[in-house]
Amino acid sequence: MKMEDKQLEQLFRGENEAGKLDHVIRAVDVRKVYTMGDSETHALAGVSLDVRRGEYLSIMGPSGSGKSTFFNMVGGLDKPTEGKVYIDQVDIAQLDPYELAWLRCRKVGYIFQTFNLIQVMSCIENVTLPMAFAGMDSEEARDKGIEILERVGLGDRALHKPAEMSGGQQQRVAIARALANSPDILLADEPTGNLDLKTGQEIITLFSKLREELGVTIITATHDLKMLKSSDRIVWIEDGLITRVSKPEDMQIELADIEGE
Amino acid sequence: MKIAEHLEFSTFNFQSSMETIGTQVRLPFKRALAIAVSGIRIRLGRSLVTVSGVVLGIAFLMSNLTGQIVKTALSEEREQSQRVDMMMSLVNAEVGSLEDRTVAVAAFGRVTATDLAFVGRVNSSGPALFRAHGLDRSGLTAVSLQELGKDADLVFVMGDAASASISLQELTAGMASPLVLDTQADREYTGEVGDGIRREPFFGKQAEDMKEEAEVAARTERFRVTWILVISLLVTVVTVANALLMSVTERFREIGTMKCLGALSKFIRRLFLIESALIGMAGSVCGALVGAALTMVIYGAMYGFGKVLLSIHYGQLLLAAVVAVVCGSILSMAAAVYPARVASRMVPADALRSTV
Ligand SMILES: Nc1ncnc2c1ncn2[C@@H]1O[C@H](COP(=O)(O)OP(=O)(O)O)[C@@H](O)[C@H]1O
Ligand SMILES: [Mg+2]
Repeated sequence: MKMEDKQLEQLFRGENEAGKLDHVIRAVDVRKVYTMGDSETHALAGVSLDVRRGEYLSIMGPSGSGKSTFFNMVGGLDKPTEGKVYIDQVDIAQLDPYELAWLRCRKVGYIFQTFNLIQVMSCIENVTLPMAFAGMDSEEARDKGIEILERVGLGDRALHKPAEMSGGQQQRVAIARALANSPDILLADEPTGNLDLKTGQEIITLFSKLREELGVTIITATHDLKMLKSSDRIVWIEDGLITRVSKPEDMQIELADIEGE
Repeated sequence: MKIAEHLEFSTFNFQSSMETIGTQVRLPFKRALAIAVSGIRIRLGRSLVTVSGVVLGIAFLMSNLTGQIVKTALSEEREQSQRVDMMMSLVNAEVGSLEDRTVAVAAFGRVTATDLAFVGRVNSSGPALFRAHGLDRSGLTAVSLQELGKDADLVFVMGDAASASISLQELTAGMASPLVLDTQADREYTGEVGDGIRREPFFGKQAEDMKEEAEVAARTERFRVTWILVISLLVTVVTVANALLMSVTERFREIGTMKCLGALSKFIRRLFLIESALIGMAGSVCGALVGAALTMVIYGAMYGFGKVLLSIHYGQLLLAAVVAVVCGSILSMAAAVYPARVASRMVPADALRSTV
């Protein structure tokens, strides 16, 4: 009993095996209230979470539980109503527009359920766009773009338009684009939500591979239990609150149960 | 409970330090221009739709401007030919047909286009001899002022000088029945008016009345024209603004994506302004050309191409084209300012959610 408590503590504090803290993201009592007319939606009702560098974190929760809202807060795409988000120990609410753009450009890579590729641009143009924003010259960007596309297995599709590709391929392009400026953090909001089982599995495998090879911190939101196996930690969220944090090992029995059903 | 304790315990570790966050580079104008141009090229189909919105608006404006220019030119020409008709009928009333007659013309000061057209008409009605002084035109025999009247049936005097540098006697010397037709009733001649010399003005009181009437008509016409131009300008504003508004709002999601990828609000604003300026200019130039050409073809078909092409003042037409192009470019940029500002200020999360 005592031992389990200690483990749980470590998990909450995001400590690594050696008990050292190296948090790339830290959310402190983050709340988000959407007001529409008279009605208020508490999309996040006080979420605190620390994410270790190099961690693969899954956020589980039913639709409408606040996963996307949490992503937007953590990724600097929206401002919390209350609470603080630190990235590399910097309170992102204090950043000016230039620093915020820098953060979105180089520190964080975003991956969406709906891919959000720019439809009129080819793969390579999509992938090199963030490099252009970072001020890289176009020739260098092109070389790097091809290299990243090769890494996600699309080296031969550089000139294709998103509409000419399957969902899984489009998501790979989106991942390549998220990797364009070698970010520390990959934020993926239900990356497999629009994909079939097999393709989803491939994307998950790709994430694991990227984590191994590049050492990026990966945070994915999902309600796909298949995604859990490769993650280090699973955070359960419901009605805007964290209800549970667990390790995939603890989940094996439950997963087996679900698969058995 | 446990969670709260831990948080309090470890919060102090995290003070703001700006060491790890850099500042986004501001892309130079050239880079923004390059991205805007490639954006237009990449979505050429959609750009062309926007351009055609501008073309439509500016073509409408330009066709109204051209229409006014052509109409003015044609009515000037009609008025001129009416006046020449009046002059010819006076001539015919005085001396009958000009065939095989000897006529002469003296010009003092600058002559009007109407006067020249009259000279041309006289020349083509078959006189045996057409002497002229102060007027160098083919078919006319240039002579000195004193030789002008010799054996002549008729002498014309024209030009804007208030006084002639010769007396009527000298001018009509050698004429069987001296008759001078003058375009100005109150032109002064040196010396006395001799006996038996008749001097008639081309335009009497009646003609002056007609002129006044025409001026009143012209004033009402001017008002109507201004009204039409104001309306057409408004139509142009709405068409152009609508085209650009659409092209920006339908890209909110794309703007959200670009912000996620590190685009500054300022950069997005600039991108859209450059894009709409380019689209506006291209559309305006096309619109001005299309509008002018179409209108000329229509008027040409109605009144004859030669007549239309010859009577138009090309300076006015060029000015109208410049006005239309400048209007179109400014309008396009102005129409893009508002949506571009809204879009660039959007929180990325909201921009991404939009489903226009
Ligand atoms: N922009 C918004 N305006 C109003 N309500 C919103 C907005 N975004 C999200 N919500 C609400 O907040 C709650 C959480 O939404 P979301 O974070 O998208 O959940 P999830 O991603 O887990 O499905 C939902 O009830 C949703 O309706
Ligand atoms: Mg969601």
